[in-house]
Amino acid sequence: MQIIYTDVLVIGGGLAGQRAAIGAKRRGHDVIVLSLVPAKRSHSAAAQGGMQASLGNCFGASGDNEDIHFADTVRGSDWGADQEVVRMFTHTAPKAIRELAAWGVPWNRVARGDREITVDGKKHIISEPDAAHGLITSRNFGGTQKWRACYVSDGTGHAMLYTMSNQAIAANIPVHERMEALALIHSDGRCHGAIVRNLATGELLAYVARATCMATGGFGRIYRVSTNAIINEGMGAAIALETGVATLGNMEAIQFHPTGIFPAGILVTEGCRGDGGLLLDGRQHRFMPDYEPEKKELASRDVVSRRMEEHIAAGHGAHSRFGEHLWLDIRLLGADHINNKLREVKEICQYFLGIDPVSELIPVRPAQHYSMGGVRTDHRGESPQLRGLFAAGEAACWDMHGFNRLGGNSVAETVVAGMIVGDAMADFCDSQAGKLILSTALVDEFGQKQQRLLAGIANGNGSESAFELTRLMQETMTANVGIFRHRDRLEQAVSTLQELQQRARNIGLRSAAPGANPELVTAYRLQRMLKLAQCVAYGALQRTESRGAHYRADFPRRDDLNWMRRTLATWPDDEAGLPTLDYEALDIMRMELPPGWRGYGARDYIEHPQTSARQQQIDGILGDIPDADRHARQQALMPFRHLLPEHLRNNNERQGEEP
Amino acid sequence: MNRIPLRPAARTLQIQVLRHNPHDPASEPHLQTFEVEEADTMTLFIALSEIRERQDPSLQFDFVCRAGICGSCGIIINGRPGLACRTLTKDLPDRITLAPLPAFELIGDLSVNTGKWMRGMSERLETWVHSRNLENLDIDTVEQAMEPELAEQLYELERCIECGCCVAACGTAQMRQDFVGAVGLNQITRFQLDPRDERTDAEFYELVGDESGVFGCMTLLGCEDMCPKELPLATQIAFLRRRMVCSG
Amino acid sequence: MTSHPNRGPARADVLQSLTGLLLVLFIWGHMFFESSILLGKEAMHWVSKMFEGEHLFGKPYPLLVSVVAAVIFVLIAVHAILALRKFPGSYRQYQQFNAHMGALRHADTTLWYVQVITGFAMFFLASAHLFVVFLQPDNIGPYASSDRIWSGNFWIIYAPLLVSVHLHAGVGAYRLAMKWLPIPAASSRQVRRKLKLVMWGIVVFFLCLGSASLATYMVIGRDHAPYAGERYVPGKSQAPTGEH
Ligand SMILES: Cc1cc2nc3c(=O)[nH]c(=O)nc-3n(C[C@H](O)[C@H](O)[C@H](O)COP(=O)(O)OP(=O)(O)OC[C@H]3O[C@@H](n4cnc5c(N)ncnc54)[C@H](O)[C@@H]3O)c2cc1C
Ligand code: HEM
Ligand code: HEM
Ligand code: SF4
Ligand code: F3S
Ligand code: FES
Repeated sequence: MQIIYTDVLVIGGGLAGQRAAIGAKRRGHDVIVLSLVPAKRSHSAAAQGGMQASLGNCFGASGDNEDIHFADTVRGSDWGADQEVVRMFTHTAPKAIRELAAWGVPWNRVARGDREITVDGKKHIISEPDAAHGLITSRNFGGTQKWRACYVSDGTGHAMLYTMSNQAIAANIPVHERMEALALIHSDGRCHGAIVRNLATGELLAYVARATCMATGGFGRIYRVSTNAIINEGMGAAIALETGVATLGNMEAIQFHPTGIFPAGILVTEGCRGDGGLLLDGRQHRFMPDYEPEKKELASRDVVSRRMEEHIAAGHGAHSRFGEHLWLDIRLLGADHINNKLREVKEICQYFLGIDPVSELIPVRPAQHYSMGGVRTDHRGESPQLRGLFAAGEAACWDMHGFNRLGGNSVAETVVAGMIVGDAMADFCDSQAGKLILSTALVDEFGQKQQRLLAGIANGNGSESAFELTRLMQETMTANVGIFRHRDRLEQAVSTLQELQQRARNIGLRSAAPGANPELVTAYRLQRMLKLAQCVAYGALQRTESRGAHYRADFPRRDDLNWMRRTLATWPDDEAGLPTLDYEALDIMRMELPPGWRGYGARDYIEHPQTSARQQQIDGILGDIPDADRHARQQALMPFRHLLPEHLRNNNERQGEEP
Repeated sequence: MNRIPLRPAARTLQIQVLRHNPHDPASEPHLQTFEVEEADTMTLFIALSEIRERQDPSLQFDFVCRAGICGSCGIIINGRPGLACRTLTKDLPDRITLAPLPAFELIGDLSVNTGKWMRGMSERLETWVHSRNLENLDIDTVEQAMEPELAEQLYELERCIECGCCVAACGTAQMRQDFVGAVGLNQITRFQLDPRDERTDAEFYELVGDESGVFGCMTLLGCEDMCPKELPLATQIAFLRRRMVCSG
Repeated sequence: MTSHPNRGPARADVLQSLTGLLLVLFIWGHMFFESSILLGKEAMHWVSKMFEGEHLFGKPYPLLVSVVAAVIFVLIAVHAILALRKFPGSYRQYQQFNAHMGALRHADTTLWYVQVITGFAMFFLASAHLFVVFLQPDNIGPYASSDRIWSGNFWIIYAPLLVSVHLHAGVGAYRLAMKWLPIPAASSRQVRRKLKLVMWGIVVFFLCLGSASLATYMVIGRDHAPYAGERYVPGKSQAPTGEH
């Protein structure tokens, strides 16, 4: 088996992976990026709507800053997020966007003067100031107080990923495409790289590295209806789980996006609603204000998705051959706006629905969209259990999203986390701990194990079909571990998944084609996906409360008293049918923003006694420094800057804000 | 008796696939026909996945986003390049012939290595913003202003998804392996237009001022007609040609 | 020197287009003059004398025609040599292009191939014609030309040359427009559709005009066959005319 040595191995060529790679490379380390597909085809390219950063340039963003972005994100997370990490994130996001701007992303800009906008179904004229002309503009998104989602028409992720990839090419970072990491090489709590399969030739290789970064994106494909790319099968999270050492955090926290087109599940961006689009029911009645008078269509995604399913369940859906759905109406935005700012949406409607959204309604229904959970890391992005293993982006549970992520916060996270983790990996490589110490025997051992596994599948003459089992898993997840969860259904899911795990040991391949062999790929991925699915289902079963996107119909209230905790899953015994769950407490006494009402969604929750204690403490601290500026006040409550790499600690300058 | 069929009976599609596995010494390129029952809103992505799941698990093809945005699934559909994931079978005749994109290295069946080609193109044309101040960028201060129209224009050119359809649709690229294709020429115009890129026209000339670049283009316009993102390739190539002639 | 980019390719491209443009303009003009036969022998005679400079200098200088023919020949030669670089360089390339074109069923790609074929044909046909014009510049006129076409069997060259040159020139002119004109991206597709329509209009017009002239020359030539070699003298009514 060929062994390739490098300082830093980045598994994943999406936004997170490539930004981390650039960071480490700039610090003088050799970096190799692995990707299942050419880097520019990673699913980051699919992000349409925007990237959140509190630049505060345009009309609806004026007065925005890190503090408001912080509060929105914490509320969005339903207090599940790590608040220090949220602070690190909201502080760095403007820097990330400015860096990308300099690197070439053609962010849409503020144009001075009057323009028409659509709010609440009505047209308004607003005026943009001269001073902001040409600065980066932003649009409204769900769950935010300000227009904060910076965008490039509705191809934001595409433009970001192309710029990022081009910078990585400029930095001469090799991307080994069509390579799949199959297992992490590790010993004694230290990660040494990965065993990798070449997807074009079927050959196995070992990549040995001092620092390894998991940036493999989400795992939406454990569901049948998902907005995710079909490569989003969670192999990164799965192989971290298979070390038996590294933990996965909050796997039950799965986001459903309100507007997947029906029935294909392809996403149309939240920008549609942010720009003024409305949700209508079967009778073309605008129903969201009935449920959510405050934020209406622009409550957070978990809330809107739930309301939509609730409304359909109450018999108000529109009917079609494929089942029930609701309508998204963007006709009121006008042809001009749609043709310029929502082009991809228009194309998707044209090609996949055969309709023109300028004059027709778009059939939509919530679809799986994002996984808040992933490889649990500390604030620097390193696994607390497995040194030398880092994670960034959707694959990670760095934990700035808690139980629900806000639209636009994800691509922002990928870049910010990439910036931080790139540095952290470079620091690690520079340190004593980052020395490469391993025997080739260990590499061989891991390689041979994978070889045996693959041979076992290829030569097994079982009767089960990998494709069929995959479909069953996806259907189980969509039916039983969806938006509304309930003990009975979850128990059903857990037992079905266990059964599928058994059956998956008995797979027989019909094709023995040398080279890529797509059937073999489906088979070995299935076994890993089943483990992830089980973490989701079992975690959801155990969490007897409703928080963010995790909604238990039998426990409809958020329960801060018992569940101010993050779920941690490990899978120490390969033969076991279930993960081992553990919990990590979130310390309310260290929170800058103690738990409360989110400003939308359900108002009642079970309060933790520390909440009011912490609130009193905060009032006291702030009372002592009445004249301090917002930075000092923040610093007094929950210092975070020391956690950031030094070059990211400065204040962000804003147009029109006193320095 | 009120069950009037709404649609004509489902068709059985004859899908012919040009198959070849270069990793199998015994494999010879050949056409293989699969029969698929057409379903509502069936795309070639759905049809091919069905073939793989039910009929031939060794069939190779590439899909990633299945939504027409990542550029993975360019193939030749009845002679013409297009994105398979957003091609509805209802727009095609009963007999459909599928072949891999020519001009790219074949991985197997319908899968070709566009990624490698595109990376090579990017490296050769240096498709990134060249600016001296990127080394010590100040990211704490307010960003440089840019005209809103210019930003939109840049995005217009950046919508390219590197699917390779323009290369497959270009007769020049079929004859000359080193031709950078409309995709490369378009990207050069994108950076040429970008004020953040400090390269001069003379420097761009070094990159595309020859027969493998803009002067190799014979204005066949297959690129423009078959670009799934409808990029204004003819306009851009003409623009670049004028610029390159006038430069230096 | 190394810091200077190689301007060759740019110059070659411009030169190819420029020679093409001049040739197009020439041939379109040429068609009007040469079709003067449709207006009668007198008109055609007047035009041919004009080119010999008679109206200017009071006396014909057929050498002028030879000079123009030589210039045109040089233009064609330069143009053809530049174009030759674009020809499929090997049988493999030719095959690849052919297969590509066949599968693609794409008008502009096929039209390029038409240009290659017509260009290749003109290589011989136009050379032959120019050779004659160059060597016998004084041998142009209502009867001289008609005799050449009918009795000298030159129609066998002219008919295919007519078709070739107009397809080639029409498509070439359209290609020139697409290649160089600053057409706004937003309207590019509409403008192109219009250009193409205009191109076909021009091609058809000239093919009709040329066919009519060629037919006229042939009729005159047939009737004049017994007197082949005899020159047209204006004003003087000569033995058999067009009407019997
Ligand atoms: C349709 C859609 C629209 C979205 N819109 C928005 C939006 O508007 N705003 C927003 O903030 N967020 C949005 N998101 C979310 C956001 O796009 C993603 O969360 C984010 O881009 C993930 O980036 P990433 O770098 O973590 O992973 P990805 O971009 O998914 O990249 C994963 C990489 O890992 C590689 N990989 C995976 N497994 C392996 C393996 N085993 N071995 C080797 N390589 C591997 C893949 O090849 C790929 O290169 C959207 C998501 C979807 C699905
Ligand atoms: C013997 C003669 C000729 C040959 C071999 C020839 C060949 C060609 C070829 C192959 C092209 C395509 C070049 C390309 O795509 O870059 C071309 C273009 C063209 N030809 Fe000719 N040609 C000949 C004569 C003529 C004549 C007589 C005319 C004018 C009537 C003409 C006008 C043009 C024009 C306008 C173009 C387009 C120019 C361009 O694309 O830059 N050609 N010719
Ligand atoms: C100085 C250059 C030229 C002169 C003086 C000239 C002159 C003539 C004349 C006098 C005729 C009438 C027939 C005859 O006398 O033989 C003729 C016919 C014709 N010429 Fe030319 N010619 C020139 C160049 C060209 C070129 C470059 C082409 C094309 C490449 C061309 C294409 C034709 C054709 C197609 C006909 C037949 C016309 C018809 O069918 O009506 N000529 N030319
Ligand atoms: S220019 Fe168009 S056809 Fe060519 S690669 Fe880009 S998107 Fe595809
Ligand atoms: S098809 Fe090819 S020749 Fe030029 S106009 Fe397009 S690149
Ligand atoms: S699969 Fe992404 S464009 Fe077709």
